[in-house]
Amino acid sequence: MTELRAEQGGKSRRPFFISHRLVGYYWERLQKNRLSLVGLGFIGFLALTGIFGPFVVQDPQKTDFNIKNLPPLGFSIQESIYDIRTGEITTTIIQSRPEHPLGTDSKGRDMLAMLVSGARISLLVGLLATGIAIFIGAFLGVLSAYLGGWVDNALMRFTDIMMTFPFFLLLVLIVFIFGPSLAIIVLVIGLTGWTGAARLIRSEALSLRTRDFITASKALGASDTRVIFNHLIPNVSSLIIVMASLSIPGVIMAEAALSFIGLGDPMSTSWGTILNTGQHSLDSAWWVAVEPGIMLFLTVLSFNFFGDGLRDAFDPKASV
Amino acid sequence: MAKDKLMKWTGALVAVSMLVSAMSGCSAPAPKIADNFIEGDVSGGEAETLNWILAADASSFGYVGYTLESLAGYDNKFNIVLRCLAKDIEASPDGLVYTINIRPDLKWSDGSQVTSEDYVYTLKNLMFSDWLNYNYKDDWQEDVDGVKRFVVPAVVDNTTFTVTRKFVQPEFIYTLYDLMPYPKYIAVKYEGDVDAFTQAKEFNSLSYTGNLGPYTFKEWLKNDKFVLSRNPGFFMGRETGAPFFSEMVIKLFGTSAVMQAALEAGDITQCGIEPQNVAKFKKMERINVYTIPTRGYNIISYNQRNNGWEGLRNKQVRQAISMAVDKDTIVKKIYLGFAEPAYSFIPSSSPWYSDDTVLKLGVEPLNSKQKAIEMLKAAGYAYGKSGDRDVLLGKDGKPVKLLLVTTPGSDVVESMSMLIKQELADIGIEVEVKWVQWATLIRQYMSNKVPGSDQEARYNNGPGAISEEAWDLTLMGHNTDPLAPSGSRVFFASDGGLNSFGFFNSKVDELFAKIRSQEGLDKEDRRKMYQELSRVISEEQPVDFITYSRGNSGFQRNVKGIEPGINMGYNYYLWHFE
Amino acid sequence: MRSYIIKRLFYSVIIAWGILTITFVLLRVGPTSPVDRYILNIAARGQDVDSVRQAIEARYGLDKPIIEQYLLYMGNLLQGKWGWSFSASQPVMDLIGSHWIYSFQLVLLSSIFAIIVGVGLGMLSAVKQNTKIDYAASIFSFIGISIPGFWLGLMLILVFAVYLGVFRTYYDTNYPIWSLENLRQLILPVLTLGIGSLAGYVRYTRSAMLDNLRKEFVTTARAKGLSERTVIGKHVLRNAVLPLVTIIMFDLGSIVFGGAYLTEIVFGIPGLGQVSFNAIFANDYAVVVAVTLIGTFLVLFINLVTDLIYTYLDPRIRYD
Repeated sequence: MTELRAEQGGKSRRPFFISHRLVGYYWERLQKNRLSLVGLGFIGFLALTGIFGPFVVQDPQKTDFNIKNLPPLGFSIQESIYDIRTGEITTTIIQSRPEHPLGTDSKGRDMLAMLVSGARISLLVGLLATGIAIFIGAFLGVLSAYLGGWVDNALMRFTDIMMTFPFFLLLVLIVFIFGPSLAIIVLVIGLTGWTGAARLIRSEALSLRTRDFITASKALGASDTRVIFNHLIPNVSSLIIVMASLSIPGVIMAEAALSFIGLGDPMSTSWGTILNTGQHSLDSAWWVAVEPGIMLFLTVLSFNFFGDGLRDAFDPKASV
Repeated sequence: MAKDKLMKWTGALVAVSMLVSAMSGCSAPAPKIADNFIEGDVSGGEAETLNWILAADASSFGYVGYTLESLAGYDNKFNIVLRCLAKDIEASPDGLVYTINIRPDLKWSDGSQVTSEDYVYTLKNLMFSDWLNYNYKDDWQEDVDGVKRFVVPAVVDNTTFTVTRKFVQPEFIYTLYDLMPYPKYIAVKYEGDVDAFTQAKEFNSLSYTGNLGPYTFKEWLKNDKFVLSRNPGFFMGRETGAPFFSEMVIKLFGTSAVMQAALEAGDITQCGIEPQNVAKFKKMERINVYTIPTRGYNIISYNQRNNGWEGLRNKQVRQAISMAVDKDTIVKKIYLGFAEPAYSFIPSSSPWYSDDTVLKLGVEPLNSKQKAIEMLKAAGYAYGKSGDRDVLLGKDGKPVKLLLVTTPGSDVVESMSMLIKQELADIGIEVEVKWVQWATLIRQYMSNKVPGSDQEARYNNGPGAISEEAWDLTLMGHNTDPLAPSGSRVFFASDGGLNSFGFFNSKVDELFAKIRSQEGLDKEDRRKMYQELSRVISEEQPVDFITYSRGNSGFQRNVKGIEPGINMGYNYYLWHFE
Repeated sequence: MRSYIIKRLFYSVIIAWGILTITFVLLRVGPTSPVDRYILNIAARGQDVDSVRQAIEARYGLDKPIIEQYLLYMGNLLQGKWGWSFSASQPVMDLIGSHWIYSFQLVLLSSIFAIIVGVGLGMLSAVKQNTKIDYAASIFSFIGISIPGFWLGLMLILVFAVYLGVFRTYYDTNYPIWSLENLRQLILPVLTLGIGSLAGYVRYTRSAMLDNLRKEFVTTARAKGLSERTVIGKHVLRNAVLPLVTIIMFDLGSIVFGGAYLTEIVFGIPGLGQVSFNAIFANDYAVVVAVTLIGTFLVLFINLVTDLIYTYLDPRIRYD
């Protein structure tokens, strides 16, 4: 199966950062794909929100029980308070307020502020964990392809084991045992998600290894390290970039899923954590569940649009 | 020992239902046996095991309780209601010997009679044994010359046995009422082998319960449902034909939102309703909502050990902080009114509760933030400026910052932590809320030991012990048995096993000891002792008692025979569909 | 061929053993202990905790050194004794035996749904390339792979069960598995789980078919005067099936864990997902290891079958 995949994936890819001209060339190709531009636009917006947003919106951790469960603009909801002495229930209608356009949660925290800080966390986790995963994957993939022999065999067997291991279960297990903190979550996702990248990069590197320019440079006396770092890696870089942008959504979803089942970092307000709270008040404060879900969806969608466009730009003939 | 949870019913009285139907003007024919009664619960409330002697959670005892009655229970007014007992337990005049008479018509599933031999065997060979390690041994032990000794059970005849103590403990009788037997003829097969006992099919499928309960075990699909079928031979059902449901099902749901939706749709017969939905359900034609007091309360515990803020070792400071946390705000904002402020570990529904003597901090008039600030100043602490706000300064001149540690997962607890943070900010104290997992909380914050010693960390290693990590406040929830509140000594006595916050007060110790001794035998004396105890504890404020919550239970309208009250489940086997 | 299968089985056993060991060690080595839940219960009822802790640990054999526990467990496993789940207080096999069917039906129905609709849509897209249908299908598939499964499930419950009342909010196990009512209440969960896979199939089918539609044998077939349906049905599809099979098998392996589990939790289906998560939270290693092993063998089995199907479908591939 590995061999077959190598055939399918081993189409020629142009190296990425060779020159400004090539970058411009790829940019032009990318632009043709409108969806990917939309995706890139949203990602940019999200990045800006993540970086500058927290300075603009209110404090997401600031609770105010006087304004809990405010609906978003345009909606209103009923609140009933019971008097223990009389046994009477008084119902009041709670209107939305313009200073909390997206409403508040059950503790009075501003939804908009929480979503903004959630953006920062999701992007951070996405980038860092993907970075770790791709780095490990690329490193192992290239090493394995280049050195071949028993090293290749051993590394691929190890990759097999890691690949067969049920990913999400492993995630839950490790995070549960070592405690749900953002650092652990990023680390664990990164350390378990590299297998796909390793495989693909290895097959790409394998096909490159036999190419003329590699033979040439070795004939000229280049050391192994030099060949790996100066020739192999730059040539798989475009694949790395595509893989990275396509892995980020999966990472963001994995972190959200973890938070959803209660294993998120309780000190942070990631979208998944908000969703987790929201599922318990689905019938009374539905917006707490709906809003973070929409954000997650749009983010993942954007990365998918962008990554897809990137892949097309680098090589439109790639079949999968 | 408090075995009954809020919603678990074990019943007794026949007379009441007859009275009710007589009053409603019709001579009651026995209600016909209709379909299933489906009770809803969230999956966190599922029982661990049906082998109750191994269980630690209340749900397990509850599940078993459907098939096996205890010796006695009590009704909403705390009158003792006999079940397996033929007559009430008699205590000897010196309070040391209890004589228990069980009914002669109790049978195991193989037809043999349930005798006092079964009860004594259960006590001596199972609950008191080393190889089995019953979790609640403590209830059956007493301190004799510094050594823990078990009470002594003995068979008198087929239906009578005694339990003898060395020292008087007037509330021990409540532990006795909760006793359930294991069948000796089956248990002897597994004696000594804890693995075999744990995995014994008979015990895990409750196949031995005979006529001891209104239902027998049918099926248990974990995380989904627990099904019981009607037991026509039920020893208390003979005259009435009880129970009146062909099946009793406990259906589990992932979230209470989904569970309540099922109640609304008519798919289940009963479930708990969250405060924000009560109004909606009360308006529904087909649903009755009952609001009942609970025995669960929450507290802020103040770390009085050496690794907490030193101000917390000062009674005035503790009182000031408790004053600043407004209980009515919490009742209104977090419970939407379904709670009452707490001032003592004794719930207001308990016969031992007295309202007059407790110090009521946190409610009017003792809820003024200004007053709290004055108290802090009087205790020797000054205020300074941080930015444009007034902040409390510690003895070192730096602004006071307290660490509140608690576990995530409960919306109520999370909201309360945040609200407390808000309230204390209003008197210039900054609170940092830290969420840790339960395992971390008990290991690093609750366990303590004397630094430098090589003793094992326990939850109370005496006055000099401190926990691994420093903390100042924590939020906890406790339960009190309303009939025997002295069980709470485990938190407030100097040698209390769960006194992790380090409260050592000889007066409190003395009062607890008295209640659980000869001097507490007389009920009036005991009442006075409890009053005094509540007063002292409320003044010392080792913890801030926050609220006792109210539970809301929704039933389909066609369920009849319900008596709302603190123990409304006591006659559950007499309920029927209209 | 046979030696190949034997070699693969041998590897599978090694991999499974590796995973088993890792899971076991993780659960036992972490700072959490199964006793913690007990402490919580006992503390809430005001009992003295210290003696209880040791007693419970002794009862569950947790006080022995880990090597001894491991060997004991392995020994039992080899004899076919899966052990006792102390968190569910029943034999592990009983626990799994009573719950697996619910997971199985969910995964089976979702896969069938996803394959039929996904491949169908993909084919339609490829044939009607660049028309409105194609673009619509493309957008739809992007949405499908981007939407967080657990959030989609919550939204479906909110709309169809809570507001519209068309479906129940929970799963009723009283219906026999192959009854109509049971299938009806599986509609929302199958939709939720299937959409992710479906979207992927649409894209892969489309691109695989497009690839082949350009090839020469198609022009030849058309030149021969064969009907369009024969061209597509017999020739194009047959060649597109190979990568499609890979994708489907791979997808099956990955949704069995993760996606299916989350869906089960959201819809309250008592399958192995709930069982394994509850077991993890209770440190019940016997159950976690058992479920992981089953899943691992499933994945390995699927991989093996995939490779064998390859050989069958494409005689050019041989493993020796």
